[in-house]
Amino acid sequence: MDAILAVDGVSKRFGGLMALSDVSFTVERGTILGLIGPNGAGKTTMFNCVAGIYKPTDGRILFSGKERGQDVAGSKPERMTALGVARTFQNIRLFSSLTVLDNVRIGRHCRTSSNFFGAVLRTRSQRAEERRIIDAAMECLDFVGLGDLALSAASSLSYGDQRRLEIARALATEPRLLLLDEPAAGMNPKETEALVDLIHAILERDVTVVLIEHDMKLVMRICARLVVLDHGVKIADGSPREVRANPDVIEAYLGKGAAHA
Amino acid sequence: MRGTVTTLKYLLAAAALAYPLMPFRDVYVLHVLVLIMVYMVLAMGLNILPGFCGLLDLGFVGFYGIGAYTAGLLTIHYNMSFWLIVPLAVLNGALFGVLLGSPTLRLVGDYFAIVTFGFSELVVLFLTNEIWLTRGPLGVPGIAPVSIDVTWLASLLGISERWRYAFRGEAPYYYLGMAMVLLVYVVMRRLEDSRLGRAWLAIREDPMAAASSGIDLFAYKVIAFAVSTGIGALAGAFFARWTLFISPDMFKFWESFLVLCMVVLGGLGNINGALVGAIILIALGEVLRVALPKLGLPAETRFLAYGLIMVLIMRFRPGGIFTQVAESTMQSGLIKELRAKLAARRTA
Repeated sequence: MDAILAVDGVSKRFGGLMALSDVSFTVERGTILGLIGPNGAGKTTMFNCVAGIYKPTDGRILFSGKERGQDVAGSKPERMTALGVARTFQNIRLFSSLTVLDNVRIGRHCRTSSNFFGAVLRTRSQRAEERRIIDAAMECLDFVGLGDLALSAASSLSYGDQRRLEIARALATEPRLLLLDEPAAGMNPKETEALVDLIHAILERDVTVVLIEHDMKLVMRICARLVVLDHGVKIADGSPREVRANPDVIEAYLGKGAAHA
Repeated sequence: MRGTVTTLKYLLAAAALAYPLMPFRDVYVLHVLVLIMVYMVLAMGLNILPGFCGLLDLGFVGFYGIGAYTAGLLTIHYNMSFWLIVPLAVLNGALFGVLLGSPTLRLVGDYFAIVTFGFSELVVLFLTNEIWLTRGPLGVPGIAPVSIDVTWLASLLGISERWRYAFRGEAPYYYLGMAMVLLVYVVMRRLEDSRLGRAWLAIREDPMAAASSGIDLFAYKVIAFAVSTGIGALAGAFFARWTLFISPDMFKFWESFLVLCMVVLGGLGNINGALVGAIILIALGEVLRVALPKLGLPAETRFLAYGLIMVLIMRFRPGGIFTQVAESTMQSGLIKELRAKLAARRTA
């Protein structure tokens, strides 16, 4: 098995609260892993640990981007992005007074290099880079279907489009691993359907996806494997079918009757 | 409509260029216009921090003071040329910016504002008390005016004359100030529409999302601080060689507040707004300086008027006069090209 990410015994403590305790799982390259569990189970905390927002109190996070099995626990977010981990946020975080294009151009930051002097002197290489940034950003926007809105204000987009813009911005960083935090939240069925197609298309770009989602139908349909968290502890790990039949999961999360759904 | 605006702009620029040569020119008006230019540069420099990066800086005038004293002291002690002093003063301002910024830019929000406020007070205290260097409250008088010395060119041509022009009166400073404003304006516009400017705006909009997009928040804040303080010091160097006398009480907290008001009034993050804010508040200050004593009020009451303006702008136009951020981005050639491409795609 070729694991792109191996979370090994990760714990995260906030004061007296164990948000995560000794959680381990692996993510296989080129697949979709679903991270599920009730509210407050520690799913977003896990994302924040992997994305570098939080430093885990304990444990290792092994990421195999260019190097194999590098322990990246406690790296800064910008370093994780440079290594190839991108994420979206549960409560959308766009640069809302900028344009749609600028949001995605900012995503290109870690793959470009022009500095103060390039900007002031407008060197040939700076201008060429700016052109490449626009081309790459437009490619990402066209990929998620927002190309025509490139010059609109990010805040003017519909809710579903804002979620897609976050995905476009994340893709602009050229990730190997994409963490999607509740991408379908607040979407209508039609938008959700389009999201499923989008996630499959992302997979074809050779990007591995980890997904936090409460829409069980969506999760069961697209994830190859599920990891279930409850109160910061991993209570199940397996295929959707196995997880759905797991009594602990039914008890903690799915509710009785889910097994027959 | 667009054509009329452009024509109007050219006419205004021509009028501004021609004014000091007109027979009806007035020394006082010229002086105020030069002062406006100094504050335009200050406002554009400060705008980087609260406008582009969302960092509240209450101590900007400290760096203005550092620039002015760097220029003043280098002039009286070493009789250095203005053209050499400008880069030195800018570098010195930026150096102090980095020295102050490196330990404090990890602070956020109000804490950072308090540190900058403390720093500017520290600058004033230093200038007042370190008499061996700054002559303290007596100030530094007798700074030589700016001069252009091209004797080297004359000797190169084999002419044994002194080709030296010393600035006298307001008119040469008026043109020099104009050049300085133009230079800073172009630099600001270019920064705004660049990878660096976008990183700054991302930090202002959402620091967490910016970090997750690969931006090193701390590094980019330090760069912002260095550029901003460098521009503050540039204005200071010009100011010292223009007024020819500097003293610590010219760099009190009120000046920081005034510049901040200009930026907020014009619109945080809008470069044109900073210029308009400087014009409005300096012009208003001059009007009030004359009007208030006539009403039997001390001239300091003008700060009440500034406060009133700020209250009114917060109530009726909280974004300032110009609310658009990253304006130059939308006017760049590449974006115009993209807009045309998108329009073509839509019709196809």
